[in-house]
Amino acid sequence: MPEPLLTRYLGQPGREEIDAYLATGGYRALARALRERTPDEIVAMVEASGLRGRGGAGFPTGRKWKLTPKRDGETRYLVVNADEGEPGTFKDRTLIEGDPHQIIEGMVITAYANQVHQAYIYLRGEFFLGHRRLSRALAEAYARGYVGRNILGSGFDLEIVIHRGAGAYICGEETALLESLEGRRGFPRLKPPYYPAVRGLYDRPTVLNNAETMAHIPHIVALGPEAYKSYGPPILYSVSGHVTRPGVKELPIGTPLREIIFEHAGGPRAGRSVKAVFPGGSSSAILTAEHLDTPADFESLQKLGSMLGSSAIIVLDDTTCIPAVIRRTVEFYRDESCGKCTPCREGTVWLSQILDRILCGRGRREDLDLLDSIARNMTGTCFCPLGESVPPSLRASLRYFRDEYAHHIEAGACDVAGGPHR
Amino acid sequence: MSSERAPASPAQMVHLTIDGRPVAVPKGTTVWQAARQNGIEVPVFCYHDRMPPLGACRMCLVEVEKMPKLATSCTLEAGEDMVVRTQTDRVRQAQQAILELLLVNHPLDCPICDKGGECPLQDNTLRFGPGQSRFVETKRQFRKHVRMGPVLVLDRERCILCWRCVRFGEIVAGDDALKGFERGYHSQIATPAMEPVRSKFIGNTMEICPVGALTSATYRFRSRPWDNRTVQSVCPHCGCGCATTLNVRGADLTRTRPREHPEVNDIWLCDKGFFGYEFVGSPERLRAPLVRRDGALREATWDEALGRVADALRSTSPEAVGVIGGARSTNEDDYLLLRLFRGVVGTNNIDFRVETAYPQPTSRAAWGLPVAIADVERADAIVLVGCDLTEEYPILWLRVKKAIDRGAPLVIAGAWEPEVARWAQHRLIHRRGGEAALLRALAGGVRAEDGAAASGAPAEAIRAAADTLRAAPRALVLAGEAALEQPGAERVLAALDELCAACHGAPLGILRGRGNSGGAQVLGLLPDMLPGYRPLGDPSAREAVAAVWGRPVPSAPGRTVRGMLEAARAADLEVLYVVGADPASDYPDARAWEEARRGLRCLVVHELFLTRTAEAADVVLPVLAYAEKTGTVANIEGRVQRQDQALLGPGVARSDAEIFVDLASRLGSPLAVASWEQVFAEIGRMIPGWAEGARLAPPRPGAGAGRDGAGIPDGPLPRPEGALALVAGRRLFDRGTMAARCPGVRGQAGEPFVAVHPEDAARLGLRDGMPCEVRSPRGALRLAVRVWAGVHRGHAYAPRGYDSAPVSVLLDERGPVAVTVRPLGAP
Repeated sequence: MPEPLLTRYLGQPGREEIDAYLATGGYRALARALRERTPDEIVAMVEASGLRGRGGAGFPTGRKWKLTPKRDGETRYLVVNADEGEPGTFKDRTLIEGDPHQIIEGMVITAYANQVHQAYIYLRGEFFLGHRRLSRALAEAYARGYVGRNILGSGFDLEIVIHRGAGAYICGEETALLESLEGRRGFPRLKPPYYPAVRGLYDRPTVLNNAETMAHIPHIVALGPEAYKSYGPPILYSVSGHVTRPGVKELPIGTPLREIIFEHAGGPRAGRSVKAVFPGGSSSAILTAEHLDTPADFESLQKLGSMLGSSAIIVLDDTTCIPAVIRRTVEFYRDESCGKCTPCREGTVWLSQILDRILCGRGRREDLDLLDSIARNMTGTCFCPLGESVPPSLRASLRYFRDEYAHHIEAGACDVAGGPHR
Repeated sequence: MSSERAPASPAQMVHLTIDGRPVAVPKGTTVWQAARQNGIEVPVFCYHDRMPPLGACRMCLVEVEKMPKLATSCTLEAGEDMVVRTQTDRVRQAQQAILELLLVNHPLDCPICDKGGECPLQDNTLRFGPGQSRFVETKRQFRKHVRMGPVLVLDRERCILCWRCVRFGEIVAGDDALKGFERGYHSQIATPAMEPVRSKFIGNTMEICPVGALTSATYRFRSRPWDNRTVQSVCPHCGCGCATTLNVRGADLTRTRPREHPEVNDIWLCDKGFFGYEFVGSPERLRAPLVRRDGALREATWDEALGRVADALRSTSPEAVGVIGGARSTNEDDYLLLRLFRGVVGTNNIDFRVETAYPQPTSRAAWGLPVAIADVERADAIVLVGCDLTEEYPILWLRVKKAIDRGAPLVIAGAWEPEVARWAQHRLIHRRGGEAALLRALAGGVRAEDGAAASGAPAEAIRAAADTLRAAPRALVLAGEAALEQPGAERVLAALDELCAACHGAPLGILRGRGNSGGAQVLGLLPDMLPGYRPLGDPSAREAVAAVWGRPVPSAPGRTVRGMLEAARAADLEVLYVVGADPASDYPDARAWEEARRGLRCLVVHELFLTRTAEAADVVLPVLAYAEKTGTVANIEGRVQRQDQALLGPGVARSDAEIFVDLASRLGSPLAVASWEQVFAEIGRMIPGWAEGARLAPPRPGAGAGRDGAGIPDGPLPRPEGALALVAGRRLFDRGTMAARCPGVRGQAGEPFVAVHPEDAARLGLRDGMPCEVRSPRGALRLAVRVWAGVHRGHAYAPRGYDSAPVSVLLDERGPVAVTVRPLGAP
């Protein structure tokens, strides 16, 4: 088991301040990057590291940077997505609150690698502590010359602006985030033909990365791609739900779910067993205890029809009523749907109405097929991934836990031991 | 957002297969467009071909080979060798799915919905829908049919959130009138705090709404689409001549809709065009001739009324007869007016420019656009001088907006900030009277500092605007009434010429005139012009006219409107014949009109209503409105368009033409007219190129042509202590004779007001909404104060077109006036 890389100093008192960060070698990667590396060399290192974006889609970071056109005289932007809103995900928040300089250092290196001079952090509005700590860290970094004009005497300039969101999950979708950042209603943009790398913020090429992705960058530059990879490569799992030691777990990517849940998160409460797991946030298809030996990586989970997503593992033990959980996730997407496209706006509310009826004991036998049919009709027809996030867990639950739904319909009540749901 | 994708040159074609059919389309065409061009219909809701694709409704999904998911055809660019299928089970399943989802929260109240019968949701459901719904839950509920001002009714339950109306306001009109509020299934179209919608183009959103969510307050429950008879017409209001379709049910005009005309209004209309039709059916229309007997106007027979007029004309020498008006008549009416008055009566005292005291000669500054309306959007830069575009010629704004979207800068110069100022790259708000110096500075003829000193606009802004204009290869300069209706207008014109020359020979449009001014001008309802812009002074032109008429044309130039009024005061003009005009309200000096009226022996008026002018007339002749007669009109770009009769007129009202023909007979020279077509053809013998659809733009002479103006010295304004320079502007929504009888227009106009700068307001103790007295040396009005930073300091802005408070009471034909604004206590 390698040492943690990103979370090594988490929890140390005063870690969010720049002196603590400097004391453990902070900003040294930046200094080296600026002095010893060309921008292209850094892009090549990140590509060689195999780092995949940590926002959920897992797009290779180095390739994304290469796709961003670097034309002379054209403004480019760096936008960091810290609008962490996927239910069950709290890794970005943990880093922002606990070690914000890591993200800032990653941003400066990324900006240098992509020759960007203006960067934005789109910070989830509810991160009050995070905002305080990140703002302070940014002010310190400016004061010490790690951000601003002529960084460390290199001649490289970068301005970073923190922009706070206003409480919309959709603004974590990258193009809706850009719309919001430009001052408009948070609606996702049409893509293709243009992706943010080519036409992003203010229609200019934009490097758009997740906050955790940024925190990986200083380590890749400091260690080199090969040494970095020997750490796993590392990934942050947000483990929550019915476990005794929930939290952010930094582990090599591909650690089996069972190991993550039982060894690192303390397993379920005494006398309880794992009933179901969301392996990648509420957007990922729900899995059962049978799937616990699956490695938590992109490919293995995809094979099961689920996904790694933002690597948020939500554990549900045998006291859980699955239809109630699914109703809650559908409600989440219903409430967070931006309203732009038909299937997401209308489908989510219809699904939640049917689930309400079932859970109130007024379900009909045909409702299960209807739920599945609506979910199928939403699949592949939504404008953006938000609406597409609803069908997987709903349909998986209908497959794995159909009896539970049927019991609700037939008995008008819940059959889960350990207390009825509300 | 990318702008609408323009198809590339035909050489770049892409080849694809749609439903097994090989198809070739220009590169840049979307799959949806490619399908439609080849007769394959793919249903849409959010897509509208005048706006870039959005991809929100998901109705237009199609199957594309090698693509794992269905694709929205409206957003997908056609690619080489693409294989598209629009009729597969998968596609049909998706279409049914989307329609089922759209209908779960739709009330299905088609039987009581105005849109029923012309509703894309209804039509698409029948053709592509699932037939029945599996939805058994409760539908989303909103407060129903909310009045959003005088013309718009919003029904959010019917709304399918296609976003067309929101995007129309963002992309086409630029007024952001309607917006999306809330999110997800709470999403709704609204205005902030559900305030009345503020727009001059909201009628278009009702047209493009694919359901009955946005309906017209004036049309609501008036008819069903299949009960409407449709008649082609032309909007009679601002002079742009937008193509319209009148809807008639029985004897009622139920609504006006835009008729597609790519060169004029495209598919749009302003709200005056949409809602300014109800005056036609007003019960206040004049139904019978009126003659003055024993000091009062009394109903009379046509024979008596026309006998009176004929007697007056017979007993007066031709030079003592004058005719004003003609801008509300058809070309054929106007042509017969000329034959009667030039040919039979023998006078050249003819002028349609009722609302101007400073007419520049047409040979020097013809009114109208020298380029087609559609060309406005192709300009590389647009200068707007003294023209409040959305108030005066709204449809032109939509073209200007398109130019701006292409990257063309807009430069605005004026004594107040027009509504579109926020779209301008440079705003030069200046003192009235400073136009010439400002324009010369823009042209580089004088230093920016001198222009600034004379106009009050900052030198820095002038320099920046000049630099912008210099960089534009094909600029367009548009000047309006506010710049030219003043004593120094000759110098303003010279400065405009200088500016056009400095802008690489930019065309100059004079944005003036209303209704059929364009036709009146090309026909020569002017003291010194003959049909086809030929000067009266040209003997061969006179001979050509005389040859057709069989009667000589008098050679001495006649009097302008102002000249006629002056002559009437001096008792040199005895009979004044007013055709569809209200000089008592609209001539910019009410007292001058009253004095002139007293000097007249006989005043004859053709009217729809008993206007101020008609009330003072000796004979009032009831005439037909635009919707009641067939004929042609010409618009601001000189385009000739036909309007058809939709209704019968009230009572015994006649067309202007019939009246002229009757009078000519009474005067012993019958005109032998059988039909409007015959008159139209006769005009064609006189004006080369005259044809329906043709554009007869005025020739634009070089600088220095023509004679001087009215010769009034334009020294500094006499300014009593605390007085403000009065500027009068037009409003789209006003309360003039016609507008006041159209609830949809009248309701939006509000009460007449005077606008003053906040600093002046503070100095004078004026607060917003307070009643005040505005007094000039000529008269006084009671108006409501509007405190507005858009007006230049030291100026007071008052709108024209309010018959209850005509600003002409304050105006002086001899020169600019200063007014005092005195508060009349708290409201």
